[in-house]
Amino acid sequence: MTSFSARLFGPHLPGSGVAVTGAWQEDERLKVFSPEKEWAATNLSMTASGFNAERLKISWTDDSGEYALFIDNAAARDLCQSGAPARYARNLLAASQEQRGVEHRFRLGWAFLAGLFLLPVLLLGLLYLQQDTIAEWLIQRIPVQQEAQIGEAVLAQSRLTMQLIESGPSVEALRRIGEKLTTGSPHHYRWFVANQPEINAFAAPGGIVVVNAGLLRAITSPEELAGVLAHEIAHAELRHGLKGIAKSLGLRTFASLALGDYGGTALAEGMKKLAELGFSREAEREADQEGLRRLVAARIDPQGMVRFFEILEKEQQLTPPEFLSTHPANAGRIAALKQEIALLPQDWRPLEIDLATIRAGLPQL
Amino acid sequence: MAMDVVDYEIFGNEMQYVEVELDPGEAAIGEAGAMMYMQDGIQMDTVFGDGSQQGGFFGKVLGAGKRLLTGEGLFTTIFHNEGRGKRRVAFAAPYPGKIIPVHLSAIGGTLICQKDSFLCAAKGVALGIAFQKRLGVGLFGGEGFIMQKLEGDGLAFVHAGGTLKELVLAPGESLRVDTGCIVAFQPTVDFDIQYVGKVKSAIFGGEGLFFATLTGPGKIWLQSLPLSRLANRIILSAPAAGGRSVGQGSVLGAGILGGILGGSDD
Repeated sequence: MTSFSARLFGPHLPGSGVAVTGAWQEDERLKVFSPEKEWAATNLSMTASGFNAERLKISWTDDSGEYALFIDNAAARDLCQSGAPARYARNLLAASQEQRGVEHRFRLGWAFLAGLFLLPVLLLGLLYLQQDTIAEWLIQRIPVQQEAQIGEAVLAQSRLTMQLIESGPSVEALRRIGEKLTTGSPHHYRWFVANQPEINAFAAPGGIVVVNAGLLRAITSPEELAGVLAHEIAHAELRHGLKGIAKSLGLRTFASLALGDYGGTALAEGMKKLAELGFSREAEREADQEGLRRLVAARIDPQGMVRFFEILEKEQQLTPPEFLSTHPANAGRIAALKQEIALLPQDWRPLEIDLATIRAGLPQL
Repeated sequence: MAMDVVDYEIFGNEMQYVEVELDPGEAAIGEAGAMMYMQDGIQMDTVFGDGSQQGGFFGKVLGAGKRLLTGEGLFTTIFHNEGRGKRRVAFAAPYPGKIIPVHLSAIGGTLICQKDSFLCAAKGVALGIAFQKRLGVGLFGGEGFIMQKLEGDGLAFVHAGGTLKELVLAPGESLRVDTGCIVAFQPTVDFDIQYVGKVKSAIFGGEGLFFATLTGPGKIWLQSLPLSRLANRIILSAPAAGGRSVGQGSVLGAGILGGILGGSDD
C-alpha cells in the first residue's frame, strides 16, 4: 500500500489546511490521516485546481461538509495515481489533461506573442536576404517610359562631366549599326559620342548609348564597333543599369525611385557608385551572351567583338584603361566567346560603313 | 535546507516596519532598499540571486534573471548576525499599509503573492516567479502574467497597501475581488477572472472589465489600497501634472476662498 503526502482542507480544520497522508484502501476508499484524526473518503471527485490548475484536488462530502485534498508535488501525485482504484482512472486522467491544457494554452499564447513580435524582424530579414530577387522583380515592373526618364536624368548628369556630340557622321554611323542590333526593342535608342580619350562606352537606362571618341580611334574595323554596341545594348535591354543602381543604393532608395522620384540626388549618387563599381561579372557575361545573340541575329560578324576584347587586353598591358575597370576583359571571356562563335554558321554580311566615316568629324586630340 | 527561525515584532499602525531578531549565526534576506536600521554585529552581504540557490553559477544567473522579471533587483541583501547575542534588524514598508507575517510551513510551504509585495524573509526562503498560466487572468487579471512565489518553511513578510483583509475560503467558497486588491494567496486557491457581466457596468462602472474570482479552499490576503490606485489619485491632484489643489469641506468652496487664502506655492 502506497501512501502520499497531501494537504487537507475541510470543516473544523484550520483555514490554511493541514498536512496529511493519504493512502488507497482495498475497498476503494481513500484513507486520509493526520496525527490527530483519520478520514475514510468515498465518492471522490477529482479535478485540477489551485493556482494555474497545478494541483490535483480530490474532494468529497460527508455529514459535516465538503473536504478538499490537495496533492501538489509531482512525486506524491504519481504515487496517488499509481495506487488509485481503476474506477478513478478516468477522473485522474481528465484532471491531468485539464492541467496540461492550461499549460498548453499558456505556451501557445506565448508562442503567439513571440511570433507577433518576431514577425517584423523575420520579414525584414527575409527582405534583406531576398533583396536581389525583390530588386529584380521591381525592375521588371518599371515601365519603359519611366526607364527613359531615368536615362534622361543620367544623361543630364553625364553632360556635366563630358562633352557629348549628338550629331554628325560618327553618330550617324553609330545609329546605323545600332539600329541593326535593336530591331524590335521597346526603347527609343539615342546615340552619342563623348569627347573623351579613354577606350570606353556605356549604356544608360532607357536606350542611351554613349561611345567615347577614344574607342572610335582604337578600333580597327566597323565590326569591332558593332561588337561594343551589341554589348552595351545588351546591358540596356537587360536593365543592368537599373539593377546596378538598385544594388549600390540599397532597396530603400530604389523603392523611392520606383515610386516616382526619378530625378534628384538619389539617382546621381547611384550612377556615381555604379560608375565606380561597374557591373557584376555575372551581368557582363550576360551582356556578352545577349550581345552575341544580337550580332548573330543581325548577321554581323561577331569576331569583331572578340577582336575588340583582344585590343583591350593589349591596352591593359600598357595602361589599364578605364573600360577595363568597369568591363573586366579577361582571357576567359574571350575564350568563351570564341568557343561559341566556332559553333555558329559563318554566314556574315559586311557592314557597309568604313572606319573613315566612323571617325569623321571627331574632335582633334 | 533548514530555515532560520526568526522572531519578529511589527511596529506602527499604518506605516509599519518590522524588526527581526536574529540569533547568532542566523540570517534574513531583505528586499533591496527596505532595510531601516540594524544593530551592531549584523553583517550585510549582497549576493547575486536570492541567497537560496545552492547550485552553480548558472543556477544563480537563472535566479537573478527571474528576479529581474518580477521587477526586483539582481542582487539581494543578506543580513547575518555575526555577533554573540541576539541582534535586530528592521525593514520598513515602502508605502502606507500593513506588513503580513506568513509562516510558510503553516500554509504548506508555498505562497503566491503579487510582485513587489515581498519585504523580507528568513534566509533559505526561495523567491521565485510564478507565471500566471491562465491567459485570461494574465491579460486581464490586473497583476499581469508574473506573480511572485515564496517557497520554503520559514517566515516571510509581505506588504499590503492600506488595510489588510485576511480571510479563509472554505472548499468551493468563492469571492470576487477587484484585480488590484489581491496581495497573496495559498496556491490551493483557484485564481480566475470573470467578466463584470453587463456592458453598462463594464463601461461606466469604473470597476474595470473583469473581477478576479478566488475560489477556496485556502487563505487569501487582500489589500484595501493598491499602490497604483493611490498613485493615480496623487498624480491626478498633483499641480505639476495638471491637477489643482482643492480645499475640502469649505462652505464657500475652494474656488474663491481657497484661492485667496491658500496662496500659491510658485
